[in-house]
Amino acid sequence: MIVTRNLRKTYLLGGQEIHALDGVDLTVPEGQFLAVIGSSGSGKSTLMNMLGGLDKPDTGEVEINGQNIVKLGLRRLARFRNETLGFVFQSFQLLPRQTALGNVTLPLTYRRPSEPNAKDAAQAALEDVGLGDRMLNKPTQLSGGQQQRVAIARALVGKPKLLLADEPTGALDSKTSDSIMALLVRLSREGLTIVLITHDHEVANYADRIVTMRDGRIVEDVINEKAAA
Amino acid sequence: MKLLKLALNSLLERKMRSLLTMLGIIIGVAAVYAMLVIGNGAKDQIMDSLGGINSRSISLSPNWTRGRASNRKPYRRFTESDVDQIRDIRGAEAVSGLVSSSESVVVPGTDSQTDIRGTDQDYLTANDMSLISGRGLVPADLEFSRTVAVLGSSTAERLFGKSYPIGATVVIKRIPFEVVGVLDKYEAQWSRGNDENDFIMIPRSTMRARISGDDWLVKNKVDNIQVVGETTESLTFIETEVDSILRRSRNLSAADAPDFRIFNFSANRQQRAQGQQMFTILLASIGVITLIVGGVGVMNIMLVSVAERTREIGLRMSVGARGSDILLQFLVEALVLCAIGGAIGLALGYGAGEFAERSSNVGNEAVLKIRHSAPTAMLAFGSALFTGVVFGFLPARRASRLNPVEALRHE
Repeated sequence: MIVTRNLRKTYLLGGQEIHALDGVDLTVPEGQFLAVIGSSGSGKSTLMNMLGGLDKPDTGEVEINGQNIVKLGLRRLARFRNETLGFVFQSFQLLPRQTALGNVTLPLTYRRPSEPNAKDAAQAALEDVGLGDRMLNKPTQLSGGQQQRVAIARALVGKPKLLLADEPTGALDSKTSDSIMALLVRLSREGLTIVLITHDHEVANYADRIVTMRDGRIVEDVINEKAAA
Repeated sequence: MKLLKLALNSLLERKMRSLLTMLGIIIGVAAVYAMLVIGNGAKDQIMDSLGGINSRSISLSPNWTRGRASNRKPYRRFTESDVDQIRDIRGAEAVSGLVSSSESVVVPGTDSQTDIRGTDQDYLTANDMSLISGRGLVPADLEFSRTVAVLGSSTAERLFGKSYPIGATVVIKRIPFEVVGVLDKYEAQWSRGNDENDFIMIPRSTMRARISGDDWLVKNKVDNIQVVGETTESLTFIETEVDSILRRSRNLSAADAPDFRIFNFSANRQQRAQGQQMFTILLASIGVITLIVGGVGVMNIMLVSVAERTREIGLRMSVGARGSDILLQFLVEALVLCAIGGAIGLALGYGAGEFAERSSNVGNEAVLKIRHSAPTAMLAFGSALFTGVVFGFLPARRASRLNPVEALRHE
């Protein structure tokens, strides 16, 4: 479960104050697939960075699984990201010189105590996203959709409680997007909590719940009946 | 282990660049090592000559007049009485006076010029020589000015070949001497180019009376005197005693300039060793400067590497890498770079040292001696690692302090 209370964040941009987050209160129950939608500059990316512990709010709290991550030190935060979170990025962020398997294993190399079956876990994760036969390929030898599947496998390999996806289909064509979204829906059905950031309504429509942001505030919060059905 | 593999992979991905960066370290370590072994070798050479009797010896000689070489002569010669007084100094183990000249030596069938040394019973001790057969000189030989001779090993061989020389007669300047002893072969500390074993020892008194003649100014002349102390430390005391004895016999006050010289082998060697030390430091600092330049190259490349991999760093942080993990990753990379460079440099420095020694050969003797040693190698290799740590730290710290959000967005 995710709870944010009165999150505020102000940036100074060219001497001008930008309210990236202007009092965001949001509760996401466990297992929900939430889409945050908004145009660029609406604060949705800032919100995701806060949830991922990559950025700190000026005021407010971010509670994930009962832990207020705003107060965590850098080391505990790194551990939190490693054990509780999985990130999926628009630009995949794969290490170009590593194989798919190497990329997926990466989060486990930072686990403490170290994971003895890291390779097996990475293989299982890659099979789970349908890439059992491409494990030793490098990212450049994979299509965009396959690369994003590798990235999702990397996010899943550490058995996270929460998957944060920032425009995961932003760099993909519509057909590939559909298959990636279908994969996320399946993961959600299996019980994973997902927060998806997008500006694309079509993509947002896969989620159980759609939150719309504008100028750092939540302006709409609806349950998506269509997806629930 | 994982970190090492990661670092190696990362370096192998950019072979050319890694190699060029390493070059600075390679040359630096090679220079440090080669300079150190050459310096150490030179120091050894000096210290070697300090071993044995030399470390306890002082040698006394009169000052000579200036002028054309053929006209030079001593201001005032030492005398038997000087030798006797010096022999009484506490701590003086052996005191040997010498009167020498080159004379014609005849045994049936040969006639040659040979170095004749008029000396005493202490000469063998003072020069670390030993007998191979017969006896040396004894005080009675001097007292009665006996015509006895002890032959150097080369002289014995040249004059008598394989036949037994003891009891035989050699004729020196038409005076027959009985051979009473033959010396063992003696290795000179430093050679003046002639055979150090080609000489004949006779009693000093006989030498003056029958061969060389005495000085017309002083009676019972002695050309120079060697003093061996019981220990190296005793030399200081002996030196001051010798100085006052000689000043007294020459009516010199303490303020007058002496007309004799006291040469202390040990002090002289130590001074040279110190000079050598400075030389070694100078040489090594050339290597160190090279190493620093190499280190700056490493830092430069690591900074480029960090900038290039900003996104990778951001990603690693987002999947749970701590700042210290990133710091270590880049530090190990710099270290591996320097370690490989250091190893290659060490091999190169070893080769360079060998090359320097061989190319300095004159005949069979290397003028430039080198000494390889594990501590020196470790020092040179360690300095490469140290360079890696020092110059790898800044880039690594910069990497570890990146903001993950910005790093991920980096193009």
